[in-house]
Order: sequence, then C-alpha cells, then structure tokens
Amino acid sequence: MTIRNTLRDHGQRYRPRMACLKKAEKMLLEMQDPDTGVKSQPQRLVITTIPHAITGEDIVAWLADRFQVDTQEARSFGSMLVALGYIYPLQDHKRLVIKPDASLYRFQTPYFWPTQQWPVEDTDYAIYLAKRNIRKKGILEIHEQEQYNRLHKWMNHKWDFIVMQAKEQYRAAKERKKPDRVVFDCQERAYWVVHRPPPGTVSGMDYGLDRRVDPNADEVTGERREIIVLHILSCSLVKYCATYHSHDPFLSKCLPSNPWQTDDNTYWTLNMHNVEIPTKMRVERWTFSFRELLSDPRGRDDFRLFLKKEFSGENLAFWEGCEDLKWGTATQMKEKAEQIYKTFLARGAPRWINIDGKTMEITVSGLRHPHRYVLDPAQTHIYMLMKKDSYGRYLKSPVFKDTQKKAVCPEEHKFSDAQLEQNARNRRPSLSPIILRQQEQEQRAKMAANAPVDITQVMSKLSKQGKDGKELPPSRRTSKT
Amino acid sequence: SCMNNNKLRLVVVACYRHLASCVGSCTDSLQLRDELRQTREKAQKLSAAICQHLTSHLRDKSLPEDQRKEMELLWVSFSSSLELLHVDMCKVFNAGDLFPLANTATLVKTGLQGGTEVAARALSVPDLNQAPAAALPDGLESQERSTMEQEIGRIDHMIDDMELKVNVLRWMVEPRGPQYADPLSSADSASLALLSVDEEQPGQQPLCQRSLVFVLLLLFALVSVAVTLSVCIVLFS
Repeated sequence: MTIRNTLRDHGQRYRPRMACLKKAEKMLLEMQDPDTGVKSQPQRLVITTIPHAITGEDIVAWLADRFQVDTQEARSFGSMLVALGYIYPLQDHKRLVIKPDASLYRFQTPYFWPTQQWPVEDTDYAIYLAKRNIRKKGILEIHEQEQYNRLHKWMNHKWDFIVMQAKEQYRAAKERKKPDRVVFDCQERAYWVVHRPPPGTVSGMDYGLDRRVDPNADEVTGERREIIVLHILSCSLVKYCATYHSHDPFLSKCLPSNPWQTDDNTYWTLNMHNVEIPTKMRVERWTFSFRELLSDPRGRDDFRLFLKKEFSGENLAFWEGCEDLKWGTATQMKEKAEQIYKTFLARGAPRWINIDGKTMEITVSGLRHPHRYVLDPAQTHIYMLMKKDSYGRYLKSPVFKDTQKKAVCPEEHKFSDAQLEQNARNRRPSLSPIILRQQEQEQRAKMAANAPVDITQVMSKLSKQGKDGKELPPSRRTSKT
Repeated sequence: SCMNNNKLRLVVVACYRHLASCVGSCTDSLQLRDELRQTREKAQKLSAAICQHLTSHLRDKSLPEDQRKEMELLWVSFSSSLELLHVDMCKVFNAGDLFPLANTATLVKTGLQGGTEVAARALSVPDLNQAPAAALPDGLESQERSTMEQEIGRIDHMIDDMELKVNVLRWMVEPRGPQYADPLSSADSASLALLSVDEEQPGQQPLCQRSLVFVLLLLFALVSVAVTLSVCIVLFS
C-alpha cells in the first residue's frame, strides 16, 4: 500500500530497498524479551519516574553477547541503531551515538520507526514545528526557524490546516497523563532529529535519489539462462573474494602497517613503482593473473627482463606502445601510430611482431586513418599470445623464482599510542604527481635509448655475418597461432 | 456547517495519531485496537459526508467567488487531513502485522504507562447523523485486518476520486490564518518544562537549578555547623 503523492510525480518515486531496516526491527523485538532482552530501569525525573530506560553500556553488552563480537563493533552497531532512530538518547538528544557508559536511552515506539515504504512528509514536520511553537513561543532553533519559514512559503495553501492540526494534536495530547506526554514529546523530538537532522549532521536515513523501479514489486521470474549466468557470475565473484581476501587492507592486516591508520609511510615506500626488491604480497599478486602482472609496474619490469632473456621483448614493447597510443594526447596520436608501424608492423621492421595475416591486414588498412583504437585487434592478439605462452613460462623461469626468493616480507609494526602521536606529527606530503610523471618519462626515454636486442635484430645481424659462412643458431621464436 | 464538520474531523484525526503512536508499544492492547477502530470509523463517516458536500458544491459552476474560495480552502484542508489519516492507517496496519497481540513479550518498552482519555475525546465528537456507534463484536484479528485493508482502500479511492472530480488549483489558495499559531496556555507548558528538566541537553537552565540546590544545601550545612559550634561554646564556657 503506497500513498499516492499527487504533488510530485516525476517517474522516480520509489525509495530504494533498505534491507537493514527489517533486520534491525527483528533485533529490536529480540531486545524486548523480559528474560533475554536488555535490562531496563526507571528514569527518575523531578516529579515522577518513567520506566523502561536503558543504559548505553547495557545495550553494548547485549549486542556483543548476542552477536559474539567485540565491544568496539557492538558499539558501532549500537550507534547505527541510534542513527536510524530505533533507540533514542535521553540526554544530549542531538548526538545520535551510543555512549558505553551509564547514559540513558529508550526504545522508540513502532509508529516512529523508519520505514522504506513512506517518505517522511514535510507536512508532518510543519505540524511538529507549529506544535512546538504553540507550546512555547520562540523555542524553535535557528535552523528549525528557517525550515518553518521555508515550509510556510512552499506549503502556503495548507497553512491553515497545519496550524489547526497542530492545535488539535496539542489539545489531544493534553488528554494524556503527564509522564506519557513527556515520553511522547521525547519520541517525536527524537524522530525529527533523525529525519530532519540539525545542520552539520547527516541523517542516518539518507539514501540519495529515488529509484525508478519499485524494489517491493514482484520480481519477474527469469529464464533458465539468466539463472545460469547469475550462477557463473556469483561463482567467479566468490572466487575473486577468496583469492584477494588476504590482500585486501580492509579485511586482513596490511604489512607492515596501514599508513592511513598509523601515519607510517613504510608500506608505500616498500611498494613504489621502481623499487628494487618487491614485497612478498606483491609478488604473490603477480601469480593471480596476467593482468595483475602487467598492471603492476614492477611486475612489468620483471616480465620485461624475462622476455629480454628470451629475445621476445618486442611483444611487450608493442603492447606498451599501443597502450601509450590509447591513453595519450590526441595531438601526438598520428606520430605515435606511424612510429609504432615503422618499428613493429612494417615489413622488415627492426622489432617485427608476428601476428596473423588477417589482423595485420585490418591494422595496416586502419593505420591509413589512425585513431586511438586502431591498433586494438593487434594489441589483443599480442596480449593473448603473451598470456597463453610467455606468462606461463615466466612463472616457471629463474628470473621469477629469483625475484620471489629475494622478495621481502616486512615485520608488522606495533606502535604505542605515544608513537602514533609522534607519527601523526611527522606527517609530510608525498612526492608530487608531476615529479613522479617526469621521472616516469625520463625512465621511458632511457629505456627507448638502450632498447633491448630482439631476435629480429640478432637474426639480421647474424644473417649479415652468415654471408661470411657462419652457421645460424637455431631460432627460438615463440610459436604463433 | 461544513467548516465545523471539518474542524471536528481534524479533532478525530489528531486523536487517531496519538492512539496510533501507542500501537506496538507496551500499552498496546485489545482495548487500544478497539479504540483505534472506533476512531477510524468516526473519521470515515465524517470524511464521507464532507467529501460529498464539498464535491457537490465545487462542481456547481454557479457558486459565487468568495464562497468558492472558502470551499477551496476547506478542500485543501480536507484532502491534507485525508492523506494524514491514510498514512496513520497504513502505519497501524503494518504495526499490527509486526505486533500480534497474542505475544506480548515483543511489545516495545517505550516508557508509556497508558490510561489516556484521547479516545474519549475523539469519540465525543458529535455524530452527523446521530446514529449510535454500533458496538461491533470482538472479531478475530484477521477479520479486523481485512476490514482495515478495505477501509484503507476506500480512503485511497476517495483521494483519487476527489482529484478526478474537482480541480482545485492549490497555488491559488491563500490561507487565512497567521504563520505562527498563538500559544494556547502557558501554565501547562511551565509544568511540562519542569518535568522534562532532566531530559534536556545539559544546558544552562537545569545546571543552574542543580547548582543552586547544591549551594543552598552547602550553606544550610555550614549554618547548622556554625550554630552547633556556637551552642557548644556557650555550653562549655
């Protein structure tokens, strides 16, 4: 059942699925159990006592016990419940956090629980503000005052209704006993702190824009093929998570220490682009997939070294050239394309790559009008070649094994609080990215200057020498499809 | 008379909201649900009458201008209160789902202690047709829920119907009342403020009161000590 909001209808009207709300509700119900729930105590006010107040430490202890987590996590969990509006603080009502001491909280009544189905209406807010003003003139805070004026402007046609309804609600409230009235006032106030947060705070129910599709609508039953595809995708996702679990700084420890937490840069300096000795974790990541190896600059260097020994470095050089073309500036595209053609693709080129005839045809014809992606087919071909052939041999090669042996595994840092403060004070900005890019370019120029020797150059040299009658060494070309 | 009816309806809607806020809390009971039902029926009856009245008047093209303006004001007020009632009914319906009265262990401990006259206020609103409020039999909860569903549907239908039949240009409607409502009675607010002294943020007022009490006690203690000392001196000198 949805309210038909006739005033606003732009087609995007559904609130997103907020699965956490249903789960929080279930947990709230568990907390109410008189035997296993949270212990409550009466709250003593000046004139009367109001029952069912709970302390922050009791809530945190109950959560830690129920979910078998440590107090820190139980605390953040409790704060989430307060931020969503299921529990509200009795003192310091504007700060929606759980304080794990004797500060008092109370459960919010289900009427004021956050829901996914209905948005929180401005009309209600206007009535609430009007009611507060009726109770005591001038009690509204500055931001509430501003909101009130704004609503008066935008809901001007309803204003009589709002004022009258505020008066009626106020009068109806007087029929209740005084303690109940106080409780209801607290409940309403807590509700509006959650849904119309004071400036400088964020509402826990902030969900961004509305959605076009109703998440509660009946889901269409998919075809079998879609189910199979989903299954495959989920399996690959599971596999990815399992593989990268120990490498994720959120899920496992970051060695030696996470710089964001301890302000110590060792992790970053050990994992720089051109470091001599990589860390063990980094080397392990190169074995996960070829893409990982290529995307890590240090891995690429290692791979380049291996290919140099195998005399098939032109593949990687061509691939890098293609990447350069794809991501480079538009003004230099034509020259780059020509350069690549002359170096790698032309007949008798110094570093000729061997791609099949069809791809070569497409590439050469495309190069007549070069654009960013003209070398894509050739690049893909070479990439797959390297992946299926060279990568496997690289992982078994002495170069890689050597790197693996030399890889360093740093010790975990154990900083005391004083040391952490010291680190925080010694924070310095890192090297500027402009300087880093300049260094990269210098390195690239140096590499281009002493280009490694490829088999074609060796062959051409040897063929020149062979004319003097020497034997040619057996070719060690990699097999091409 | 239509205006009066609307005012009465506002009374009922306000009371319904107060009752609805107790659903699912520790004061929830069969009696509360019954009161909700009766209040709801009252609101429905009033709504039906007002709706008919307003629709027929506003569709009448020969209505003089000032009367039309008044009717439009009423229309806006009525449709807003209908929407409010609709939300409240939906919330009560959903809460009824979550908190079946059979299991009282899961009712939320909200600190309420119950015993209100709110329902009495709602039900004391005079009926239009003077028909006696039918004491419905204590039906099962499921029956109650299906009737509730029907009534929510009916209100939904009413809102839609109204929008279809009469086209009120909301931006042309001007309110008559002031921006700020006048405070109703100050005596009550003072006592409430005293009650909620502990609830407020530790601001200046409560702190002053507390520290004042402390200082007074200290002074009293000092004075009593001085008195006893002087008495001792007098006795032993």
